[in-house]
Amino acid sequence: MLTKAELKQRACQTIDGKKKDLIAVAQDILAHPETGFNETRTASLVARKFDEMGIKHRSGLAITGVKGAIDCGGPGPSVALLGELDSLTVEQHPHADPETGAAHACGHNCQIGMMLGAVAGLQTPEVLAQLSGRIVPFAVPAEEFVDVERRLQLREEGKLEFLGGKQELIRLGEFDDVDMAMMCHTASDMGDRQFAVGGASNGHMVKYVRFIGRGAHAGGAPHLGINALNAATFALQAINANRETHQEHETVRIHGIVTKGGEAVSAVPADVRLEWRVRSATPEAVVKNGEVVDRCFKAGALAVGASVEISNIPGYHPIRHNPGLQELFRRNSVDLLGERQTMVIPTRRNRGGSTDMGDLSRIIPACHPYTAGAAGPGHSKDYVITDYEAAVVNPAKIMAMVAIDLLSEGAAAAKQIIASHRPDVTKQNYLRFQRERAQVIRFDGGA
Amino acid sequence: MASAAPSKEDLKRRVFQEIDDRADEIVSLAKTILQNPEPGFRETKTAALVASTFAQMGVPFKAGLAVTGVRADLIGGSAGPALAIMGELDSLIVNQHPHADPNTGAAHACGHHCQVAMMLGAAMALMQPDVLSSLSGRLVFMAVPAEEYIEIEYRDGLRRKGNIEFLGGKPEMVRIGEFDDVDLAMMMHTTSNRDDKDICVGGTNNGTVAKRIQFIGRGAHAGGSPHLGINALNAATLALTAIHFNRETFRDEDSIRVHPIMTKGGEAVSAVPADVRMETFVRGRSIEAIIEANKKVDRAVKAGALAVGAGVNIQTIPGYLPLRQDNNMSQVFEANAVEMVGRDKVGHASHRGGSTDMGDISHLMPAIHPYVGGASGLGHGADYVVEDYGLAVVTAAKALAATAVDLLADGASEGGRVISGHRPEMTSGEYLKFMRGLASEENFRSESILC
Repeated sequence: MLTKAELKQRACQTIDGKKKDLIAVAQDILAHPETGFNETRTASLVARKFDEMGIKHRSGLAITGVKGAIDCGGPGPSVALLGELDSLTVEQHPHADPETGAAHACGHNCQIGMMLGAVAGLQTPEVLAQLSGRIVPFAVPAEEFVDVERRLQLREEGKLEFLGGKQELIRLGEFDDVDMAMMCHTASDMGDRQFAVGGASNGHMVKYVRFIGRGAHAGGAPHLGINALNAATFALQAINANRETHQEHETVRIHGIVTKGGEAVSAVPADVRLEWRVRSATPEAVVKNGEVVDRCFKAGALAVGASVEISNIPGYHPIRHNPGLQELFRRNSVDLLGERQTMVIPTRRNRGGSTDMGDLSRIIPACHPYTAGAAGPGHSKDYVITDYEAAVVNPAKIMAMVAIDLLSEGAAAAKQIIASHRPDVTKQNYLRFQRERAQVIRFDGGA
Repeated sequence: MASAAPSKEDLKRRVFQEIDDRADEIVSLAKTILQNPEPGFRETKTAALVASTFAQMGVPFKAGLAVTGVRADLIGGSAGPALAIMGELDSLIVNQHPHADPNTGAAHACGHHCQVAMMLGAAMALMQPDVLSSLSGRLVFMAVPAEEYIEIEYRDGLRRKGNIEFLGGKPEMVRIGEFDDVDLAMMMHTTSNRDDKDICVGGTNNGTVAKRIQFIGRGAHAGGSPHLGINALNAATLALTAIHFNRETFRDEDSIRVHPIMTKGGEAVSAVPADVRMETFVRGRSIEAIIEANKKVDRAVKAGALAVGAGVNIQTIPGYLPLRQDNNMSQVFEANAVEMVGRDKVGHASHRGGSTDMGDISHLMPAIHPYVGGASGLGHGADYVVEDYGLAVVTAAKALAATAVDLLADGASEGGRVISGHRPEMTSGEYLKFMRGLASEENFRSESILC
């Protein structure tokens, strides 16, 4: 029998031995970015790696997800190690796909590398033999909530119900046999720290908005037109005028883009489309602030006599890190990197963004720590990985170490976490809440 | 043996002579009014001056019509139509004007003081017995209040007290029946526009409705709990933006003008504004265009309220109708203008964006509203002053009097021709019904759209 410390040491040795290969995977994905539900090449790469590592797996889950399973030496709980497949679209990013504009401006390419690394460490024979339970390496699609119009099309075609990858996997039951989940995200805002646990994220909802006006010759007969672009820009001003009513503790973020701004400059714009997002610290605040935004869109339509159709799309839930998992991450980070390198972000500190790991964290114990190695503002053209050791190798080791803590000694720690976990919602209630959010509001401002 | 009736030329010579003889007196009336400016429905000193002048002339008059209006009728030698010659009593409020009342800010920045003087000058000339006896019909000299459509809140207060129903002088004079016995109407307005030349005939004016708008929010500490407030000032500024977003739909040929002011913008800078008020006009070249634009303004104002979840009270108050001058009557006037200043000094107006309640009168009977030069600066501005009183008052008085001679001499054959050639848009009954139909008050609540 090896001690836990010895098991962790063996796993880390394995990971160090595969370091070049893991970084190469991350860089391969970096060079071939694919946005959510389009990650076919990335998914194939994961499947091939699973094959090489002898991991049985299923593909095509929620379109592109790949889920593996490794049975340990004895029975016990199932622990998922997640890696997100998808990129963003940032056309100016140095590693952007010249055709699609897709780019890994959020470091998900490293997540696949670290997941494979952690699993490789855990596959070390003498390690695996001493663990009880099941390790589930899971490459999940579409964490970035973008491309809404195309995803709505997929929904129309019956290929999706929810537009986020983990949401869809929850619906499909792919987490029904998973007892807890972990992943690790790269970050560029950690100063001289290497690893961070804690903090909070916003929940959100997404609005796909169409203003419908009436086209007319913009020079010859503007009086016959109804300007949908004016309706939309008025709505944006209305949204901004409401910002003074936002409360700091709700960490309200309301932002969006215009995906269609008119047809031709010589015609009164009759079809203007927006993708909008409402983020807040609690699901209830998301709903409340979303209603204000709906009102603003209606006001835009009313301002010029246009009509508006608001498709409300259920978004993500705020994250709550499982305290037991978080403590294991903290301790292993301290062990591997040192106390000074390990940051604990207070729970009240909401990073403002959103992740579908939040949805999962409402149902099962989950943890979503951060690792250093990136530079530049997230989601921008400047976000690049500058230190692959920090971005891939360290988190691979820490996740392996946490899994060893969880599943060694008859999985006592994992069982303890499961026993003390009080889920916010059941899967059924989660799905009901989300489905209640999905509604289409139509308002005719010219009536 | 009765001598032959004097010719129109003879009558005009008599009339011009009298006006020239009394030119100083007439001009000094204008200057007295200039020094005592009073806004509409407050023209007590000006009305008293008119009344005392009529009294000195020995002409019976009625005063206190539509609060401050004064009317004197002169009966011609034989029966015929009634021709009104009008002068407007009221000033504007332009604090920076050189002749502004230091207490009230009232100032004659639109030349109405000249109108009253030229009307009185014409009366002095036409009342000469041998002139008056040669005219058929009646001359109605009217000093009318409140042409400038301002101080809406004050006037709406008078309305709510029952002192007036309409907020403009001439509509109110129509309501109380002072135009029921009038068949033709004319007045002259000063102008500083060089293109108008010395005298300008023809042209049209926008009509308008007036609006009082009150956004109702919810007060709250602007620092401590802005999330509990509803910002009525944001509602109002968004409403202005929404109005602007509609401007591209206004047709050139409708000459729409929407130009609000904010009369209350909040209570204290430390509180979320809960009560914000605006006034605006919605002007246009036709009644239909005004109504159409007014609908857009109402919708835009509601959008401002909806944007922040406020309420809004929208009061629409009938304003003035577009001016349509009678062509035949204009031609009679123009011939006299040419006679007086020469053909190349007579201009022809097209359309003006402003509004006048002479527009209302022009929907009921043949009416003209020509312009006379002599002013400089921008109308309604601090620099609008009358420089040539000879032109702006004396020549104008002659033009009005000569036109009256043309219309009512010779058995009022010209006046009769003008009347028979004119198709009034409305009767005064129809007019009042229409104006009352324009008045509306709507309370919009954002909740009405949220359910």
